[in-house]
Amino acid sequence: MPSFSIQDFMPIFPAAILAVGAMALLLSEAFLVSVPHASASRGYQAVIGVITAAFAGTVAFHNAFEDPRVVLQGFAVLDPFSSFVTVVVAVTVGLAVLLSAGFLKHRNAERGEFYALMLFAAAGMSLLALSAEFITLFVNLEVLSVATYALTAYLRRGTRPAEAGFKYFILGAFSGALLLYGAALLYGATGTTKLAGMAEVLRAASSGDKAWLVYCGMVLVATGFAFKVAAVPFHMWTPDVYEGAPTPVTALMSAGVKAAAFVALIRVFVALAPGLGPQVPFVLFGGLALLTMVAGNLMALPQRNVKRMLAYSSVAHAGYVLLGVTALFAPAAGTEGHGMGVLSASPLLGQVPASAHADIYKAILFYLLGYAVTTIGSFGVLAALERREDETRGTTWDLDRFAGLAHSKPGWAIAMAACMLSLGGIPPTVGFMGKLLVFRAAVDAGLLGLAIVGVLTSAAAAYYYLRVVVYMFMRNAAEGAAVPERHWQTDVALAVATAGVILLGILPGPVTAWLTQATMLALR
Amino acid sequence: METYNPLTGYLPLALVFLVAGGMAFAIPLIASMLGPKSVNPIKSETFECGNVTIGSARQRFAVKFYVVALLFIVFDVEAVFLYPWAVNFKALGWFGYTTMSLFAATLIVALAYVWKKGALEWES
Repeated sequence: MPSFSIQDFMPIFPAAILAVGAMALLLSEAFLVSVPHASASRGYQAVIGVITAAFAGTVAFHNAFEDPRVVLQGFAVLDPFSSFVTVVVAVTVGLAVLLSAGFLKHRNAERGEFYALMLFAAAGMSLLALSAEFITLFVNLEVLSVATYALTAYLRRGTRPAEAGFKYFILGAFSGALLLYGAALLYGATGTTKLAGMAEVLRAASSGDKAWLVYCGMVLVATGFAFKVAAVPFHMWTPDVYEGAPTPVTALMSAGVKAAAFVALIRVFVALAPGLGPQVPFVLFGGLALLTMVAGNLMALPQRNVKRMLAYSSVAHAGYVLLGVTALFAPAAGTEGHGMGVLSASPLLGQVPASAHADIYKAILFYLLGYAVTTIGSFGVLAALERREDETRGTTWDLDRFAGLAHSKPGWAIAMAACMLSLGGIPPTVGFMGKLLVFRAAVDAGLLGLAIVGVLTSAAAAYYYLRVVVYMFMRNAAEGAAVPERHWQTDVALAVATAGVILLGILPGPVTAWLTQATMLALR
Repeated sequence: METYNPLTGYLPLALVFLVAGGMAFAIPLIASMLGPKSVNPIKSETFECGNVTIGSARQRFAVKFYVVALLFIVFDVEAVFLYPWAVNFKALGWFGYTTMSLFAATLIVALAYVWKKGALEWES
């Protein structure tokens, strides 16, 4: 009989809270709503969503100070990575719910199911970040994916949401199948689905025994993850889906899904790489990072449609995170052989790098946090500017909509400007600090070439980010331009996101110090 | 000494195949001999499930079919999880009871939602 202590369930408390909140919202929709098709009686639902997210985030924050350990018989880990990502996810989903409140009210589409799906997606993200076993990982990936498929097609007006929903569903299901196939091959090679067990078998096995099986499995798993994080050349769905989805959902996808998928990817490959030598993941992620940074930024350059531009920007930012991931597997400069040779064994991740890699982890996690806050802010302004009447026309997200925003809505213009500077990596914003940390980690790991590509592409990216700022502050609005509605929920969300972007940019100290401490603890 | 024949163990399996194959022939045969016959155009269609069998496949049909299929999958998967637990009920003890209760409670929430929303009503 399996035995568990209550301590075993601590890491899944945040996800459980999110799921209970989601179920409460479902039941409220079924039993408490008196007027079926009015948003008026549903004002409390967004509040429930935000409170649930805040509660889950607080518990996750508390978990982050726990001793890292394997729980639930090796199916999950409680470590600072999973807790940190859960905090990021909770912040993201809380802000996304706030943004949705105004967004949906304007469209008279506020329903408990929408918030419930957001919270279910967040629960999936939180659990994905702490999965240490392939079936758990796959199920949680599906939990978050199915919720986001439904959210993508939530607004059924016109063809765009249907197209986005279908593309996302088909490609998402396909990538899920690839990942599962890869996991099956890895299981075939090692006889276990637990990451720690796989690492052990791979380390013990004589080289070349089942190497091809493992290589194929790793490549398939990497492909599955590359779809989810929208890395080039697996990014094709991104612009269409991001454009067609309701804007708050896009914000949640680009911030939360990405953060959770990256942590799962890192957990899998850090566990498996030592058994094979890190060359495979190094080449794999190095190539993906290079392609993603270059292609993502180049494709964003000509976009006049700001929502598509942000979608390609999201692809480009996946490239910068991948640069950090590549650094984890880089041949260490100055030491003999591969950097992974100095790995210390740890029960947590199967095998984790020595403290030399703590800086890389810190950089990746900080980057994910910074990107989450920034992307929520920028999609938030976009959501605030959107008007239901424009949805059928293709011009809803055109740059011209931003012309003269500094005069008509100075608050939103400042928020958007801060987010654009942050996405472009310009101080004093969190985006600058994130890029600084990632590029420095890459250079320290000896990836000078890739780091130079990263710096050059982010310099090119400044063009399309700053263009939005130029439109807002230096152009006049067109005659008779429509004035968007205001909702206090949107303003609160934008204020929080903007404050995060600037404060984390000026004073990253507390967060980075805590991340340093946490990663050192985990890598002990 | 009797020589070991690895196929001996498969004798029950062969019997199962034999019985199953026999049934496959016997049941239609008996049905056609004994069953009452009422022949009308709808009865004689290949699949008597509400849709016209022959014709364009690109016709619209009610979204209610999807809802039923979806609900079937949900509660079908529930059964898949409940069976192993029922088989190992004693071994899993209170731990199994608690977790399965949580699982079932979640499904009851789903059922309550679906019911109240009217998804179980065919005519509305």
